[in-house]
Amino acid sequence: MASNGEVQEAAVRVIGGWACPYAIRVFAALKLKAVDYEFLQEPAGRKSELLLRTNPVYKKIPVLLHRGAPICESMIIIQYIDQVWASNGPAILPAQPYARAMERFWAQYVDDKVIAPALLVLRGLTDGDKDNAAAQVSNALQHLEEAFVKCSQGKHYFGGDNIGFLDLVLGSHLGWFKAVEKIAGIKILDEAKYPEITAWADRFCAHHAVKDVMPETERLVEFSVNSAVKTKPSN
Amino acid sequence: MEKTPENVSQQAAAAEAPLKLLGSWASSYTHRVQLALRLKGLEFEYAEEDLGNKSDELLRLNPVYKKVPVLVHGGRSLPESVVILQYLDDAWPHIRPLLPSDPFDRALARFWCHFADDKLGPAVGAVFASTGSEQEAAVRQVHENLALIEAELREGAFKGRRFFGGDEVGILDVVLGCGSYWLAVFEEVMDGVRLVDADAFPLFHAWLRGFEALDEARDTIPPVDRLLGYARGVRHMLLGLAGAGDGAAAPTAAAEATAPVPAPAATDIAVDI
Repeated sequence: MASNGEVQEAAVRVIGGWACPYAIRVFAALKLKAVDYEFLQEPAGRKSELLLRTNPVYKKIPVLLHRGAPICESMIIIQYIDQVWASNGPAILPAQPYARAMERFWAQYVDDKVIAPALLVLRGLTDGDKDNAAAQVSNALQHLEEAFVKCSQGKHYFGGDNIGFLDLVLGSHLGWFKAVEKIAGIKILDEAKYPEITAWADRFCAHHAVKDVMPETERLVEFSVNSAVKTKPSN
Repeated sequence: MEKTPENVSQQAAAAEAPLKLLGSWASSYTHRVQLALRLKGLEFEYAEEDLGNKSDELLRLNPVYKKVPVLVHGGRSLPESVVILQYLDDAWPHIRPLLPSDPFDRALARFWCHFADDKLGPAVGAVFASTGSEQEAAVRQVHENLALIEAELREGAFKGRRFFGGDEVGILDVVLGCGSYWLAVFEEVMDGVRLVDADAFPLFHAWLRGFEALDEARDTIPPVDRLLGYARGVRHMLLGLAGAGDGAAAPTAAAEATAPVPAPAATDIAVDI
């Protein structure tokens, strides 16, 4: 890809952050579909001109730019990728309508209702009772453990033989699960309680489409510590 | 799953299986599903839930959220209105699609559906649950959100369209439409609050008139006097609880406190758009 002088804009660009689970799932989805993309790392502490222009409503990452056209919201982006590059490799969402609906239901559960909000508390990014948040995640993982059995039908991923939508949505949080275990000194991915999810987590993180975009735990812990230091008042 | 002859006929057989909807008459989330089913011409059995006294069936079919609507199709249950709407399109793809076929247009429709439930709905709910300066701030938020939609109608993604879906209603019309009726109802209940001014939001206003005139919408949306009575009851309850405790958390407080019969818990009320 050209990077100086006459720059030819890449057909697929992602405005995101290396530590952001929502961006990570977009990177992984593109890798699953073997789509080359240019990663535009958002600068720390401020929002780029491009982000503000392409996502004026939410001003948040990730944003997918496909030939300049912006698509926002990670779950919407993944479905877009699945549709546009349908002929590249296995489908991200299952074909069967009920299975599709179940993956969407659980994906919404992960992001909107339970896991994401609780993780923010555990990371110290939002106010809240950490014990409550940990209990919430635990409860959610119990539901997801059962959902895994139903969705996977004995295979390796929620999506079956291949990584799918729910794998990406839940899996992209795994980096922070592990980081939070260290930061908050709690056990989240308890093999005794969630044997299926724990085994799945290892498989997911080792997958070729994921391993290069999933940040290492130590890096996330460091990132978290640095962010906390910056936002704390100096006294 | 590949499209083998076996799977295709399985899917065809599945499409024939009976449909049942558990809902609540004042829930706009329920209305969304009823409207979509009517638009697709699908027969369904309807079971009204008393949200103050939920049935065993509801608790069994939606153990995660215990909320309406829940669609039951061929013995399998599905909660969450927008998940259900997309399911209807996936299961009956050749009948009146709710989502556009173009990937970018689909993404846009999904984005604004997300915005409706993530931003606009809660903002309207906040107006309804608050008073004084807090309410004024919530009203400003609603106006900001409506302005974004108005801009898309005027010069953006939905420019020149009769409906968000184009010439025909689509998923965004269903999502926004089933709930926008609360705007006028709330204005009536709360003196002096202007939420959807025809001068400030002419295109949104025109769209809403067009939506409400559809036969299927008229069959689905309850009569205004019933909605007014309901809204007055909820407002009274929310204000009563707000007076007793944390005003800002009125909807949550309402859910946790003993709700006066027959008003259901505030969190179950789809005061969101």
